[in-house]
Amino acid sequence: MQGVFFLTAITSIAAVALICIFLFYNGVPAIAEIGFFDFVGGQQWAPTNQPPSYGIFCMIVGSIYVTAGAIIIGVPIGILTAVFLARFCPAPLYKIIKPATELLAGIPSIVYGFFGLMVVVPFIRDTFGGNGSSLLAASVVLGIMILPTIIGVSESAIRAVPEPYYEGSLALGATRERSVFRVMLPASKSGILAGVVLGIGRAIGETMAVILIAGNQVQIPTSLTEGVRTLTANIVLEMGYSTGLHRQALIATGVVLFVFILLITLSMQAIKSRSEKNG
Amino acid sequence: MKKTSKVLTLAVAALMAVSAFAGCGNGGSSSASGESSGSSQAQAGSFDTSKEITVVTREQGSGTRDAFVELTGVLVEDGDTKTDNTTASAVTVNGTEAVITNVKGNDAAIGYISLGSLNDTVKAVDIDGVEVTADNVKSGEYKISRPFNIAYKGELEGVAKDFVDFIMSADGQAVVAEEGYVTVTEGEVFKSANPSGKISVAGSSSVSPVMEKLIEAYKAINSGADIELQTTDSSAGMTAAMEGTCEIGMASRELKDEEASALESMTIANDGIAVIVNTNNTVEDLTLDQVKSIYTGETTVWSDVIK
Repeated sequence: MQGVFFLTAITSIAAVALICIFLFYNGVPAIAEIGFFDFVGGQQWAPTNQPPSYGIFCMIVGSIYVTAGAIIIGVPIGILTAVFLARFCPAPLYKIIKPATELLAGIPSIVYGFFGLMVVVPFIRDTFGGNGSSLLAASVVLGIMILPTIIGVSESAIRAVPEPYYEGSLALGATRERSVFRVMLPASKSGILAGVVLGIGRAIGETMAVILIAGNQVQIPTSLTEGVRTLTANIVLEMGYSTGLHRQALIATGVVLFVFILLITLSMQAIKSRSEKNG
Repeated sequence: MKKTSKVLTLAVAALMAVSAFAGCGNGGSSSASGESSGSSQAQAGSFDTSKEITVVTREQGSGTRDAFVELTGVLVEDGDTKTDNTTASAVTVNGTEAVITNVKGNDAAIGYISLGSLNDTVKAVDIDGVEVTADNVKSGEYKISRPFNIAYKGELEGVAKDFVDFIMSADGQAVVAEEGYVTVTEGEVFKSANPSGKISVAGSSSVSPVMEKLIEAYKAINSGADIELQTTDSSAGMTAAMEGTCEIGMASRELKDEEASALESMTIANDGIAVIVNTNNTVEDLTLDQVKSIYTGETTVWSDVIK
């Protein structure tokens, strides 16, 4: 019986290993052929030109910008919601808000994208100008998409802080708000940080929603109302028709994305081990 | 008692917030629809021509984009180099439906789709005064169009003849229409002579997707035939047909004189691309140069092209 458990445990490792091998086997030769610095640092993406150029710097910047925007919008709302849910929320209201945030997590990303295209994009076009499909639209929608992750993880982190911390703070004469923000939040900061990092992971890997609302221009945006193309969008947009080196360059884009995700996972591990040490 | 009243207050507040949000949404949409119905009544007045043009394009590698940039001159060929000069600020989408959705939802947008996918939700503009219709595409009067030609040397026989008969039949042309291209003939119901053998078809990468579908459909009827498809470009296809290295050559352009004199050719389909704008847009007619200058980013506001 234990053999079965072992086999199931191996499956996920094997899947990760196979994906790694596939990505690097197909992607690395393309990076070598294009040249590492031309690929990662090049600002020109024109695979159908003669001679073609494959520079994904704009997409790397795009992914970082969009993720940063999502964090700026999603993190304050998420953490404050978690504080409310964990400390201030009356039980009947909790029964409404908690399932609502969980429902938010279950909505398919294409639905978020469609919502963004039909509601957020026209709103931005009418209010801030430009054509609406923009960095701002992508940030707003992604900010909403990462809320459930941040709320869920942060709430359990806040709840995990021993109650005497709170009571002790109250006993010293601090108000409830002061106790929460000066005692409870600092005590749960590793957990909250873990939630934020998970949110970053979700935002950077998001594809279907972003592709509909970001405009997908290969450029470094100079304002919030300009469009961006993310790494994921680049792969999905062009995979259908690509051949030869173009296709390999798209897989190599996946390699770069994979490295990003790897860094996020590693920092996640670092936060975990640090919190275990402290705890 | 005190606690329940607090909960009640909260619940009422929440309800109010929700209803305010819903009301706001309704208000927004009703005013938006009011706006659009108003503009359809007084079309000329309401479209703001000072708006910046939102250029919508397809992704790199898309056949429609390849054809569009080539036919409008957005693609500049200079010896061995080819440069797609589509403006960097063009919204890029993957798929005809996505182009339509973007243009439908944005007053100031312009996009292009293959003629077969055109519908009423967007408006096709005339190019150099010629309306985009199947007839104008066939005759070549509509500029953003091109013929898909096949060419062969001497007389066709065996599988090659049977296959060409299939392409020009009602069944073959149905495949052409299904792929979004303009058919060239009504054709008759296809009856295969069931020859067996191997032939190769070579040439234009623009023709090859539809040729691939045609080959698939033909093989389903005549399983004895083996047809090999080589995708290169129009000139290579014509050269191969002249040298006899392939039975049928494909070209996505008219044949050049020396090719036409050495080969028999026929048009199997026409590829027409409609330039589309929002139905609120007052523009009716653009010149090919204007389309080019919009797509290369030289023209950025509608008032430059609307008199």
